[in-house]
Amino acid sequence: MIRTIEIVALVMGAIIAWLAATYVDSGLQFLLCEVFLLFIMSQMWNLLAGYAGQVSFGQQMFVGLGGYGLCLIANNTGIPVWATIIIVPVIVGLLAIPLGMVVFHLKHAYFAIGMWVAAEVVFQFVVKTPALGGSGGMVLRPGGEMMQGFPEQTVLPVALFLSVALIVGLRVFLRSKLGLATLAVRDNEAAAEAAGVNIWRLHMILFTLTGAGTALAAALYYTTTLFVTPLDAFQAKWVVLMMFIVVVGGLGTLTGPVVGIALFIGIRELMTAAGYSGGQYWIVMGLLSIGVLLFLPQGLWPAFSNYVQSLRGKASS
Amino acid sequence: MALISTVDVSRLFGSVYAVDRVSVELNEGEGVGLIGPNGAGKTTLLSLLAGSLKPTQGKIMMEGVDVTMLPVFARVTAGIARAAQIPQTFNRLTVRENVLLPAYFGARLSQHDAGIWVDEVLEMTDLLRRAGQQAASLGLLDRKRLELAKAVASKPRVLLLDEVAAGLTEPEIASIKEVVKRLQPGRVIVWVEHIPFALQGVCSRLLVMDKGAKLLDGPFDEVWASDVLQSTYMGM
Repeated sequence: MIRTIEIVALVMGAIIAWLAATYVDSGLQFLLCEVFLLFIMSQMWNLLAGYAGQVSFGQQMFVGLGGYGLCLIANNTGIPVWATIIIVPVIVGLLAIPLGMVVFHLKHAYFAIGMWVAAEVVFQFVVKTPALGGSGGMVLRPGGEMMQGFPEQTVLPVALFLSVALIVGLRVFLRSKLGLATLAVRDNEAAAEAAGVNIWRLHMILFTLTGAGTALAAALYYTTTLFVTPLDAFQAKWVVLMMFIVVVGGLGTLTGPVVGIALFIGIRELMTAAGYSGGQYWIVMGLLSIGVLLFLPQGLWPAFSNYVQSLRGKASS
Repeated sequence: MALISTVDVSRLFGSVYAVDRVSVELNEGEGVGLIGPNGAGKTTLLSLLAGSLKPTQGKIMMEGVDVTMLPVFARVTAGIARAAQIPQTFNRLTVRENVLLPAYFGARLSQHDAGIWVDEVLEMTDLLRRAGQQAASLGLLDRKRLELAKAVASKPRVLLLDEVAAGLTEPEIASIKEVVKRLQPGRVIVWVEHIPFALQGVCSRLLVMDKGAKLLDGPFDEVWASDVLQSTYMGM
């Protein structure tokens, strides 16, 4: 079950979350919200693609559904924003089940592209629906009123604590029966089925959970931006970021995405501070991705930990 | 009633019948050697029993129940397991975790019961001292043992062995045979192998296939000595 070190991590996470809410200034809070929420989304993609072997190019659909779900429910009902943020992932998770029943007929690259097409279909539907604000999107107005205060002050501690809780949760999950099945599928899907694992069911569970998790992070994110537009929420940029963070950091490892997100935010913020404008940091990220995939295809974190292990091996022998 | 049987099963690949109207009945406790020249349809027949291929015609029955349409994972829980020719191990997991998986999902054991059962399986397959090692680090013989251990851990009543002795030296084959003998009680074992020495002493019955069809079926010594076998299989 849960180990002492993991409980310590949770407590530390809670303390740091409180400190961040109290002492960090608003601008930095806004940035950190993005960091932690993007981390959660990346870890979701990692679980789906890196562990369960279902590479998807369409996870931006869940980002969009999370953002729109938030605005639709909060604006049109009396349900408070915090409760909406809890309800949205449940609804999105339920929507993922029939979607999975369709797209699971596609395998590997076809599944990846099929998810992309599905995301595009939802995007087109949203853009062409006036009730959803069309291409102009929606403003978050809980119960018809403008939001008061600074939502990032509340969202940051939640996102920070959730990130820590997610790593702990994933570690506990990977030690469970279903977690062992997931690790086995990562190594050899056919052999896992030959051991009695219902692969379809396992894929469906993870597809639903990761879809819901992505929507949860998105709902939190759009609570800080206060509005959602289809061009932003359903943009392929989201899944590209998730892939960059996971693949460069280390696919199928829990630590890899931590390295990946630090790299992404570091490059973006440093280049912006140095005066490079707009999307120029994407060029550096692209070059970096190519370099990593050519020379360290398993990702930076596994390469680093293998290197450290080989050093230790030399030292002891 | 036979534990598992095939009723006129055929499997078509393109325009070639890899298995052509084969009917066999296999009973509990039997060790059945399945031999035949390359392309005789031995592995295809195993795949039909294991569920990784569906027959073009015919049925697979287990204790009178039609299991033809059951997918692979459901066949495993129903009690049919297969050890593959090329060991299909989970390389980043430990030997113990490799064996735990089928104990959890194939045999549907609780964490506590699975732990005890896995120790037993590792003991039977001589892998106990390798339990904590990563599967990727094993040599060929241990990988073959692990493939057997994984199949047995799901508590199958029908154990399908696909050339588990291929590629091994004679002393290694002898040690694998010892393992298979320990696994035999209470099960049907169907063993496809090109090496007659491996089957001797384990299999009491010999099934010979040629060009997709069942050629001979009977007690090991009788079939082994028959002229038909000597001429078609050995080319003598």
